[in-house]
Amino acid sequence: MKKNKWGKIYLAVVFFVLYAPIFYLMFYSFNEAGNMSHFSGFTLDYYKEVFQDTRLLIIVLNTFVIALLSSVVATIFGVLGALAIRYMPRPFTKNSLLSLNNVLIVSPDVVIGASFLIFFTILGVKLGFISVLVSHIAFSIPIVVLMVLPKLQEMSPTLIDAARDLGASQWDVLSKVILPYIAPGVFAGFFMALTYSLDDFAVTFFVTGNGFTTLSVEIYSRARQGISLSINALSTLLFLFTIILVIGYYFINQRNAKTAQALEVPKK
Amino acid sequence: MKQLVRIFGIVVVAALLMMGLTYSLNKSEGYSGGNTLTIYNWGDYVDPDLLKKFEKESGIKVIYQTFDSNEAMMTKIEQGGTTFDIAVPSDYAISKMREENLLIPLDKSKLPNMKYLNPRFMDLSFDEGNKYSMPYFWGTLGIIYNKKMIHDIPFTTWNDLWRPELKNQIMLIDGAREVMGLGLNSLGYSLNSTNEAELQEALMKIKEMTPNVKAIVGDEIKVLMAGDEAGVAVTFSGEASEMLSQNKDLEYVIPKDGSNLWFDNMVIPKTAKNVDGAHEFINFMLKPENAAINAEYVGYATPNEAAVKLLPKEISSDRRFYPEPDQLENLEVYDNLGKKMLAHYNELFLEFKMYRK
Repeated sequence: MKKNKWGKIYLAVVFFVLYAPIFYLMFYSFNEAGNMSHFSGFTLDYYKEVFQDTRLLIIVLNTFVIALLSSVVATIFGVLGALAIRYMPRPFTKNSLLSLNNVLIVSPDVVIGASFLIFFTILGVKLGFISVLVSHIAFSIPIVVLMVLPKLQEMSPTLIDAARDLGASQWDVLSKVILPYIAPGVFAGFFMALTYSLDDFAVTFFVTGNGFTTLSVEIYSRARQGISLSINALSTLLFLFTIILVIGYYFINQRNAKTAQALEVPKK
Repeated sequence: MKQLVRIFGIVVVAALLMMGLTYSLNKSEGYSGGNTLTIYNWGDYVDPDLLKKFEKESGIKVIYQTFDSNEAMMTKIEQGGTTFDIAVPSDYAISKMREENLLIPLDKSKLPNMKYLNPRFMDLSFDEGNKYSMPYFWGTLGIIYNKKMIHDIPFTTWNDLWRPELKNQIMLIDGAREVMGLGLNSLGYSLNSTNEAELQEALMKIKEMTPNVKAIVGDEIKVLMAGDEAGVAVTFSGEASEMLSQNKDLEYVIPKDGSNLWFDNMVIPKTAKNVDGAHEFINFMLKPENAAINAEYVGYATPNEAAVKLLPKEISSDRRFYPEPDQLENLEVYDNLGKKMLAHYNELFLEFKMYRK
């Protein structure tokens, strides 16, 4: 019992440290005084400002378009990649591919960003939407692979053999056996890719250009002048939006769990 | 499988809808279309209304993009892949960009409004004859202090920073040229000194200040000073003006024994696609009424003599940010000392940072 109490306190402290800055920031987004040093009164001016700043809105939308598209594409490539790695017949190639995948995850963003910049300029690609999208897809793929692989590995090969015995084609095996089984991993990969793309600064910084930019880059360059409270307001909105996303993800999971249960019932 | 396809389908549709929304927003802002001008500037460093005004007057659509350091901006321009028509680097960055052939010379015949500029801010060492650049904003390096916390020190010279009663109270900006410069200035030397003996002497002198130094920091100065959490800081006037507007107890002074005069200037990078439009924009920004609007919005000092007259009295008569001509006499612009000398400055600064008493 006592142990349990300490554990709870520890957890509370950890969550406080994690969330306090965010709530601090959200609190001051309603500050009339216009700075973060003292609170003088309640106002919604900064929210109004956000919705009036068309340039900022365009940047927010850009950020989301990039995040959604890049994570969908990265999920597709990542799942295919994970399948290829899982069913690679030669262990040496398999391990090498896996290590190459992991190298990309641990290598510093700045290095990846700089190499993308050089890569795109050598190819003569104009920096902008395409360059940002491609690089976000690229750095998200290894994450998806890493999220999907464990699911694939935990899946028993007998499942596939059974499906084959029952006359399933290659495509049937993939779409009716493997994909439903690894779906939680796929979603996890998708959401990881989404968050990576949303908050990436280092890579994006190098590959934005010609009027196309994302939120992280914009906020960073505004910081030199001291961050205006409209950024606080915007962050609050984004935070709420993320919470909605997480809740949505939770319900999808719940439903999946229920269908899984429903499927298991007849077995009894 | 069906579920996966459905969910990802929804996501893609959502993304496409947002793209459509962006497109229509862009259109309502007038960003699409052929005749555009891409401006690469510091974050929040221009009045957005001025950009709209320029679009209306010239028929050119403005695309505005931001950077946060000279080095970052130079990397982007050097690598290409972008089509920035205007950039706003600081003084030393201009001489570097000039050396690396990243700039297009200005066509003065298209810039009639340059006559309004204060000659004091023209023809400086980083761009002699203003072949490549036109001043945008300028400022100084000085001391900001909290009157509530420090009562009887006037901070008229750098030497006041060495007073023993300031123990552990000073925040310095994290820049080799700035800190070495104040050491040199306090001894009466030029802040562009390349004389080894003078440099060593300056290093010895700033080392003696270490007991007073609370921290060597960057942007945090703003928050700490505005929040009454530190007494004294050495920083740039632009930053100072912002802190002053947030905290009434702060005061900014330019030390009498000399200091740095800095500039952010408009240039046309090699990557420019719309060189005519770029000239038109520079000329537009040099127009006194526009320069005044911009200076009021951004809060930095304008080099435009005619614009200063248009500013409200309480801004233009503020000697802290628009010093008298004789105060300007002592101020120096950073010379481009070359890679080797700069590395030496950095080394000495590092030695100072590591020195603890």
